[in-house]
Amino acid sequence: MSTASGAPHVRTEGLTVRYGAFQALRDVTVSLPAGAISGLIGPNGAGKTTLLNAISGFTPIAEGSVHIGHRNITALGTRRRALAGVVRGFQTVRLMERESVLTNVLVGTERLPQPNALAQFLALPSQWRARNRDMAAATEVLDLLGLARQAHRRVDELPFASRRLVEVARVLVSSPSVILLDEPAAGLDQEGRQELAAVLTRVHENHPSTMVVVEHDVDLVKSLCSYVIALDSGAFLRDGTPAEVFGDRQVQLAYFGRAASADA
Amino acid sequence: MTGTTMTRPRRGGKNPTVGKGRGVPRLLTRVAVFAVIAAVPPLLFDDYWVFMSAQVLAFAVATLGLDILYGRTGQMSLAHASFMGVGAYTTYVMATNGYGPAMQLAAVIGVALIAALVVSVPTLRLSGMRLALVTLAFGELLAWAIRNTTDLTGGTQGASVDPFLFGRLDSSEPLHAYLIALVPAAIATAFAVHLGRTQLGRRMLAVRDSELAAESVGVAVARTKVTAFLISAVYAGVAGWLYAGITGFIAPPDFDLFASVYLFVAVVIGGAGTVLGAWLGASYVVLMPEVFTLAGQPNLYPIVGGALLAIVALVVPDGIVGLGRNVWRRIRGVRGDEEESK
Repeated sequence: MSTASGAPHVRTEGLTVRYGAFQALRDVTVSLPAGAISGLIGPNGAGKTTLLNAISGFTPIAEGSVHIGHRNITALGTRRRALAGVVRGFQTVRLMERESVLTNVLVGTERLPQPNALAQFLALPSQWRARNRDMAAATEVLDLLGLARQAHRRVDELPFASRRLVEVARVLVSSPSVILLDEPAAGLDQEGRQELAAVLTRVHENHPSTMVVVEHDVDLVKSLCSYVIALDSGAFLRDGTPAEVFGDRQVQLAYFGRAASADA
Repeated sequence: MTGTTMTRPRRGGKNPTVGKGRGVPRLLTRVAVFAVIAAVPPLLFDDYWVFMSAQVLAFAVATLGLDILYGRTGQMSLAHASFMGVGAYTTYVMATNGYGPAMQLAAVIGVALIAALVVSVPTLRLSGMRLALVTLAFGELLAWAIRNTTDLTGGTQGASVDPFLFGRLDSSEPLHAYLIALVPAAIATAFAVHLGRTQLGRRMLAVRDSELAAESVGVAVARTKVTAFLISAVYAGVAGWLYAGITGFIAPPDFDLFASVYLFVAVVIGGAGTVLGAWLGASYVVLMPEVFTLAGQPNLYPIVGGALLAIVALVVPDGIVGLGRNVWRRIRGVRGDEEESK
């Protein structure tokens, strides 16, 4: 199913992931609404990252299936899923440290149709057209994320918060229809978190997509996400609006270790 | 250099527009600098050093190729000199059959591509030490093949290769050899610089730094490695063709494991991942043995080379280019701070 904007919904059915004898995910069936920003919450070890890995193809699936819109992508490898529009960020920032911000972002244009290697190497006209298109996309994303002034800086010269944004920019530059972000706010201070939430909201308005954000910070999830899925010990716990999910007794027990109503 | 066009921070970072109007003046500056440096040997050096300079040009093509494979893609090859050997011996065989340098070059590129495909496709999914071992085996195989085909290749005794004749240019003349080698070296450099501006070049960097991240944006990791290997093999083959035509004599030790290791050392010392580093490396690998020979201690070269590699790896991992860049950044950083405080 797709919305008018073209962003598909993401669905898993009976998803089970095992690491040896350990079941990281047990029979997880979730549906992430098309064109919305969804939050994926749960205590450590709940299987949030594993679910993200399973959707993006980084983890082999023991049972179940993953669907993007009407398409079953369970059999596709990581790369094919990326080309199909599912692009992710990492919990630990994975950048080309010695390269510039711009180079790091431009790598993300791989999903756009690129001329073959020979045409690129020989600088045929198709290469120049692709380069202009990619530069325009990168410039737009860098402007959107407030990184334009750092475009030519080496990534290892930047503060952590900016490096996070560079990774987000690399994900966004090809306007993927499904964006998976694994704790994008990790390691940021309060100000950085708010800025990130604002940036992601702005990005989502400019480029409609189905966005999934793994996040611990309850306030951030509430301000950013219109839909929340809670996992606990590898199993589905609850889904709904942020108010519904955070108000749920079971979620509070799993998440805060008590059925308090401090945040609800 | 891996997109120095893009990697170099702008002065003071004042202009927020990304990458506009910087290409043409920079290109002209680079061409001018290249031309000035290229004019030095014929104007100032005697025949012997012009001959050595021609060899630097040939080896620069080789180190540029190895830099694409190792410096940019992060794949270790211990057969780069062997691919030079593939080029050199293909040149010899073609020359003995009466083909001129242009046909030799075409054959060299073809044979290098085939040899590189044979080596790299089965090793697609290998990396690190395993790829290095496979390339090592290829080098040994080539050496064995040359030793056992004396009629065709001259065997262990080596072989004399006819000089290149391009119109009135004759590569047995040092100056002519230099001028002939300048063209492929300049073209190889231009392609290496250009590569840094393509998605192909960025795929290589992504594969070098994080295969996971590369895959996450859709990069075909194995295909990128093979492409890098093919390009590097063609560079090595062309370097071998030049080497054969310039020196006029080739023998198996020119292309053995040690030769491959020296090329590797050259790239690391010069500065892996940069075009300038590859050139410095080529100068090192050709001129350093000469320096030791002049000093009367030719046997010291391997020892000092090894020690230098260790020092560079430990102290300046980005090689001479990285060292220079740090110094430059420090100088400019001070100046930038002053500007900022005004």
